[in-house]
This record gives sequence, structure tokens and C-alpha cells, in this order.
Amino acid sequence: MAHQAHSYHMVDPSPWPIFGAAAALLTTSGLIMWFHYNTSTLLMAGLLSMLLVMLQWWRDVIRESTFQGHHTPTVQKGLRYGMILFITSEVFFFLGFFWAFFHSSLAPTPELGGQWPPTGINPLNPLDVPLLNTAILLASGVTVTWAHHSITEGNRKQAIHALTLTIALGLYFTALQAMEYHETSFSIADSIYGSTFFVATGFHGLHVIIGSSFLTVCLLRLIKFHFTSNHHFGFEAAAWYWHFVDIVWLFLYMSMYWWGSC
Amino acid sequence: MWRNLLSIRQVSRRTISTASRRPLENRVPEKQKLFQEDNGLPVYLKGGIMDGLLYRFTMGLTVFEDFLFSYHNNE
Repeated sequence: MAHQAHSYHMVDPSPWPIFGAAAALLTTSGLIMWFHYNTSTLLMAGLLSMLLVMLQWWRDVIRESTFQGHHTPTVQKGLRYGMILFITSEVFFFLGFFWAFFHSSLAPTPELGGQWPPTGINPLNPLDVPLLNTAILLASGVTVTWAHHSITEGNRKQAIHALTLTIALGLYFTALQAMEYHETSFSIADSIYGSTFFVATGFHGLHVIIGSSFLTVCLLRLIKFHFTSNHHFGFEAAAWYWHFVDIVWLFLYMSMYWWGSC
Repeated sequence: MWRNLLSIRQVSRRTISTASRRPLENRVPEKQKLFQEDNGLPVYLKGGIMDGLLYRFTMGLTVFEDFLFSYHNNE
């Protein structure tokens, strides 16, 4: 059997990239069909394909690393760069929505009553549930760091407890935010205020759900002994993503909930 | 009825405590052996029969959806 003379990972041929691309096409065109023709078959099929591709692709990455040993320090360095670049791209994604918010709120038009919040809009009280949500996400940042320290110290039970607590806090945030959405007196259709508020907080909520899912996968892997005390990059990537989600919330809270309600 | 409720409480306590006492075994070495076997299979099929079934289901769904897409866009 031939052996490689370098420390990189030459992956096996895989169908997931092209299936993933097809799933993305089907999901986006499915969204169009749903928006404009009120039919959701294509969208549902596209989302199902996306889910299947993600599950199998990431399952294969776990196999290649934990079970086949392909993730040398060199490979891990590449993965670190990759995750950092991905999170950076997400920062730019949110920057756009913050730009839209400040564009409209710093110079409110006559149609809005020349004020922000616009005439007739009753914003949420920032010292109510939104403040609790801020405390929840900050606490979850502490617990995920606690989990990381427990992993590096080889303390299995504490790592499981800390990571479970982190996920529970994330779910608590999501539940409270869903309740808040139900309680608002304004909707996404209520002028640019509604659009900027719900699109920005909505995408943030989606990222909380994604982050919670990533952490849950890490919890399952932690329980199944996949991580060692000095090699657990999957967990680190999830923790980085989680901190990013927390920071986005802090900016959302300060700009839209607090400043934007005065 | 109260006695029935009490017995349900006892049963659920017993079941939960039994489950938490059984330790989970480290099966990573078995997985490492399975996935390092020199059988020429690519990683996405190397786990067993379910891999192939899941792959075929995903492919079938994606191909079916491509037809759905063409149908919707050629009306």
C-alpha cells in the first residue's frame, strides 16, 4: 500500500459536494416557488436534500478524523483558517443588516413621522425579556468556556455538564425569543422598522439554532469519547461560532433594542 | 388512584436511576478498526449497508427534485 510523503489529507472521491450544490439550487428555487406561487413542494424537497447532505458530509469528516486519523496538525491548521474565514464572512453578512438599520434609523423619513421608532410603533421594552436574553447568552459563553477547560483537563463529567448547560441556555434563549416574537405589537410588514428588526433578529435566531445544533453534535461526540484533551477541534469550532452568535446579539441589543427604542 | 400515581413515581425513579448507573463504553477503537480496513471502499460507503442505502436515497431524491425543478421552470 502506498504511503504519502506529506501531512495533508487527500480526501476520497465524494458525491456530497455536487449533491449539496443541487440541494442549494432546489432550495433557492423552492423559496421562489413558495414566495410567488404559494407552493412548497420544491422547497421541502430541497431542504430535505440539504439536511441529508449535511448529515452525511459531516459524518464523513468525523470518520476521516476520529476513526481514520487524517487530521494531522497541518490539516487542523487549515480547518482553523477555514472556520475563521467562514465566521468572518458571517460577520459581513450581519454588517449588511446593521447598515440597513442605521441607514433608516439615523435619518428617519417623513413617511415614518420623521422619528425613530416610527410613529405608531411600540417597541419592546429593552429592560424586559431582551435583557434576560442578553444575560442568558453571556452565561452560555461562560459555560462553553468551562466545558472547554474541562475537556483540556480531561474532566469528562464536568465537560458533559457544562456543555449540556450551554445547550440548555441556547434553547432557553430560542424559546424566549419565539415568545417575544409572538408578543410584539408590530410585524415584519410594519414599515422599515419591522423589516430591519425581524430580518436582523430573525437571522440571528437562526444562527442560535445552528449554533445549538453544532454544540449538540459536539455533546454527542464528547459522550462517545471522540475528543481527547489536546485534539478536539470540532468543539473549538462550535465554541468559536457560539461566541460569534453571542457578540452579534450584543450588537443587536445595543443598537436595535436599546438605542432603537429611545 | 393516588396509590397508582405513587407507583408510577417509584417506577420512573427506578428506571432513571438504573440508566444513569450503566457506564457508556468507549467504542472508538472498534470504529477505528472498521474504517481503517483495507477494503477499497470510499469513506462515504465504508460504514456498512446503511451507508449505501442512505446514499441511494439522497441521490434518488436529488434526481427526482431536478425533474421537479425542470417541470416547474418549463410550465
